[in-house]
Amino acid sequence: MNNKEFDNILNDCLERLLIKGESLQQCLQSYPEQAAELKPLLETALAAKEASAVQPRPDFRARARYEFNSALKETAAGKSRLSWGWFPRWATVAAIILAVVLAGGGTVVAADSSMPDSPLYSVKLATEQVRLTLTPSQIAKARLCAQLADRRVAEIAYMADKGDVEQVEILTRRLDDKLELMVAFIEGRGGIHLPGMAMAPPEEAATPPATYEAPPETTIPDEALTPEAITAPDKTWGGGDDAARNGNRHELKSTLLSDATSNRAVLRQALDEVPESTRDALRRALSVSEEGYEEALDALE
Amino acid sequence: MQDEESLVRRAQKQDHEAFAQIYEEYFDKIYRYITLKIGDAVEAEDLTQQVFLNSLRSISSFRWKGRPFSAWLYRIAHNQVVDYLRKKKKVAVPLEEKLVSGGDNPQLAAERKLDVEQVLVAARHLTDAQREVISLRFTSELSIAQVAEVMGKSQGAVKALQHSGIVALRRALTVKQNE
Repeated sequence: MNNKEFDNILNDCLERLLIKGESLQQCLQSYPEQAAELKPLLETALAAKEASAVQPRPDFRARARYEFNSALKETAAGKSRLSWGWFPRWATVAAIILAVVLAGGGTVVAADSSMPDSPLYSVKLATEQVRLTLTPSQIAKARLCAQLADRRVAEIAYMADKGDVEQVEILTRRLDDKLELMVAFIEGRGGIHLPGMAMAPPEEAATPPATYEAPPETTIPDEALTPEAITAPDKTWGGGDDAARNGNRHELKSTLLSDATSNRAVLRQALDEVPESTRDALRRALSVSEEGYEEALDALE
Repeated sequence: MQDEESLVRRAQKQDHEAFAQIYEEYFDKIYRYITLKIGDAVEAEDLTQQVFLNSLRSISSFRWKGRPFSAWLYRIAHNQVVDYLRKKKKVAVPLEEKLVSGGDNPQLAAERKLDVEQVLVAARHLTDAQREVISLRFTSELSIAQVAEVMGKSQGAVKALQHSGIVALRRALTVKQNE
């Protein structure tokens, strides 16, 4: 009998003994030729399982459950704030004006490198959304999402360094949305609406408020650009040419492999340097980043 | 537990009750898994709590792609343990420990009543991969297929690790008869 066969027999006995609750004797009777070798291993497994069936202390269990429930409520509250679906239409219009009319101008250029603690950051986000909408093909949109994900990672590292846990968590959600959107474009589920544009009557959409006062979330919420907001399929993966399409996918895959590595390195380095209070939030960002790129690369296979 | 996929989908929509059910289902298993991995039942408490807080915050990123939810959750726990051990720079097994490898005329401690401390100490003699398999199989009761998902290995490789892990555990639990 080879090792593989014995591994299978051992596994079968473990299933019956540890999961199904059969007796040791029953298992051994099924394999009389291997019984001598199986017996000590099964006894060890059984004893180890019984001994390691540790239970959390009751006071810890109660405290953990309380804290978890509190976190659950906080998360739900945060989600509802982010999911209002409210979006000022004039902000979309303002963003398009900024992006199209003032492209290259000082405001947009300055906003482009702004960080979340800057007043210009909301302009940066609005401009990004407009660029995404105006980008013509699925692959170009996917590439742009990759660039925007890079930006979110840099911003996460920046805000983590400042010890701002809340911003790190908000940015992590935005990173997740961007990576999810990228997968949608890769899978050819593209085509997006800018809320407040396509669905609004033109005259209403074009009416800005009397005074410009930037709210905390001035721009299009990233949630509005999740796959749920995605509309008609658009299969513009480098035109109808298969070779070109494959080339584009190959190029994007190389980019994503590189991005996944570099962004992991950025977040891991930040993890070593940021205040202790920020590390858990940063670990979550790392996890979201790793899973997002993994999924995007899977979609390209 | 009701159909896990629908439960997780509800949890992703911030359904408190659904997340509470997931929490109750997995809390003890994750705790035992971490305890065996790090060899410290008290430290495992904080890490377990952190695993669930992390899962709460990132559950929206979980995607159903034929991969069980448990694999995702244990992956978070695994990462938590890795971070913990990296920080702690795990100390070597003290020389004065009574448990020794091999020995003539051995008597398996398992034939007596083992306690958790013995198992935790013995588990330190296993490789990381063996310890991972033993933790997932014996303390968390995951199937071979689920363990393979969590570890990113084939089922055959997991069975081989399970075999070598039990052998190593038995060897570590063996004490010289005269001690």
